[in-house]
Amino acid sequence: MESFLSLMDGFATALTPINLMWSLVGVTLGTLIGILPGIGPALTIALLLPVTRNLDPTGAFIMFAGLYYGAMYGSSTTSILLNTPGESGSIMTAVEGNMMARQGRGAAALSTAAIGSFVAGTLGTLALTFLAPLFVKLALLFGPAEYFSLMVLAFTTVSALLGASISRGVAALLLGLAFGLVGTDVLTGQPRLFFGYPSLLRGIDIVVVAVGLFAVGEALFMASQSRLRTAEILPIKGSLFMTREEWRRSWKPWLRGAAIGFPFGALPAGGTEIPTFLSYFLEKKLTKHPEEFGRGAIEGVAGPEAANNAAVAGVLVPLLALGLPTSATAAILLAAFEQYNLQPGPLLFAGSSTLVWGLIASLYIGNVMLLVLNLPLVGLWVRLLTIPQPLLYGGILVFSTLGVYSLSNSTFDLFLLFVVGIIGFLMRRHEFPVAPCIIGLILGPFAEAHFRRALSISQGDPSVFVTHPLSAVLLALAAAVIIVPIIIRRVKHV
Amino acid sequence: MNSKQNISGAGLAIGLGLIAIASVIGFDTVQMRVPPTYARVGPQIFPYIIAIGMAITGAHIAWKSYRGGDDVIDEVEPTDWKSVGIIVAGLIAHMNLLKPLGFVPAGLILFLSVAFAFGSRRYGRDAIVGFLLVLFAYVGFTYGLGLQLPPGILKGLL
Repeated sequence: MESFLSLMDGFATALTPINLMWSLVGVTLGTLIGILPGIGPALTIALLLPVTRNLDPTGAFIMFAGLYYGAMYGSSTTSILLNTPGESGSIMTAVEGNMMARQGRGAAALSTAAIGSFVAGTLGTLALTFLAPLFVKLALLFGPAEYFSLMVLAFTTVSALLGASISRGVAALLLGLAFGLVGTDVLTGQPRLFFGYPSLLRGIDIVVVAVGLFAVGEALFMASQSRLRTAEILPIKGSLFMTREEWRRSWKPWLRGAAIGFPFGALPAGGTEIPTFLSYFLEKKLTKHPEEFGRGAIEGVAGPEAANNAAVAGVLVPLLALGLPTSATAAILLAAFEQYNLQPGPLLFAGSSTLVWGLIASLYIGNVMLLVLNLPLVGLWVRLLTIPQPLLYGGILVFSTLGVYSLSNSTFDLFLLFVVGIIGFLMRRHEFPVAPCIIGLILGPFAEAHFRRALSISQGDPSVFVTHPLSAVLLALAAAVIIVPIIIRRVKHV
Repeated sequence: MNSKQNISGAGLAIGLGLIAIASVIGFDTVQMRVPPTYARVGPQIFPYIIAIGMAITGAHIAWKSYRGGDDVIDEVEPTDWKSVGIIVAGLIAHMNLLKPLGFVPAGLILFLSVAFAFGSRRYGRDAIVGFLLVLFAYVGFTYGLGLQLPPGILKGLL
């Protein structure tokens, strides 16, 4: 009930003309970047950070959240018509959706993706509305030791579940943590890893790393793989109004996708990729038309597209209530909170309830806007796909360097961007996941602060992490995430 | 299977690179002079943990790549190094020319180098699109959002 009243206040905030405008800007921009391959929500929000520094934080977050949702809607269009996922959460959509488009059922695929995204996005937002306050109560039980252990759990799940192997995930995470070390230690003022460059004393900005990995690294990789440069855009064929049969086959996958997506988004497991895979394989198992899978089954579009939108709502639960990012985009959003000197968690819900509930209410509104933007207007968006790749990547790099330069008007940041871009290229080339690096960078300094705070409370006794029951459970889970897959692999080998 | 044939040069280099970064972090941390009050839970613990973790991971990757196996890091696809080189050159030119020449010319050079690296040979179209994009970005961000971008040689014109 308490949540319901807060939500009503939230709607009062979100429905003001200025915030409606931010929401519209966010969902439009989100759809745009979702459709454009090579540019995603993490990169876009990172690039917007320097230019939104002086905005009202409520408006800025309403825009960012709309952008995150919008990217999930838009990316399905690219997956279906271009067979290149616009974002990693739409990889599975590219499988069945593109086959549907090839058979002249592209319009139905777009419809089930958009309506499924709407249903799941709304259900996910409902779950967020009522679960976030519960998580906040949980957060009140957390001391520094528990926070540190929670972050360790996030580190291990993200590195173990993403990427081609655990060692690659761990290497990416440690690289991110190392980036986070650079600069002045907050607690003691001790400079670390600054190599005599005064510019490094204030640390490496997360914008530099995110843009370097996502834009520069990606552009170098795409340029290096000439076979990735050509793709065929399929025209939209068929009716956008789904037939009775298509509705009948879509509604259950939507609900199941939402049920899978939301909890997986909330778990520290890297956001939208894993739930979409799970949803796809579940639908493949449950379908009455197994022969259609791999040749354009509508369930294989409806389920994963619902899952990725519900996952976005799920991601917001630990982010808002605990300050724990579970995806690269969430890590950038955490950096946005830092920029406005806001600390997610119980204090945010108590002190900035207008922002939190305005943001949550705006998600309901944004979902409606996105349904309108993406269904009747899909024909307009599709034209974006005709932008030639050389111009697209040229533009991405121009805006990337612009955003990074404007952080502090320094060409040194451009040099750092270049170095991180080379690292990003190597990571992409050798299948190292990027998300653990971003999460390590943003969460590392928090983890260190909690670690040292916990130890100074216990007067240097490291047993606090295992004698506090909650902390011990979290650490045990963290260890299990790394050890169990290794054991399973060993057993399978024997 | 002859594992000697599976030695992955890239994986070995990445593993050794991680060990190198780990030693840089370790070396930097050893040299810190920390007041004794902080000695126990000070600014050195985390860097040490990260350095040790990274050295172990690097050694693991290097060893796996040397020995070969299911988890190797290897060349997957043929790489177009020329295109990579052109973008790298464009980025280096951009960061060095941004202040002397200004945002518009430096941005245009970057744009054209990326377009060329992605295989475009329609120079006229690229130059017009690039120029309009960079000009629009400059005007929009300096006048619209109040960013300070270097005007360079176009100072006074824009």
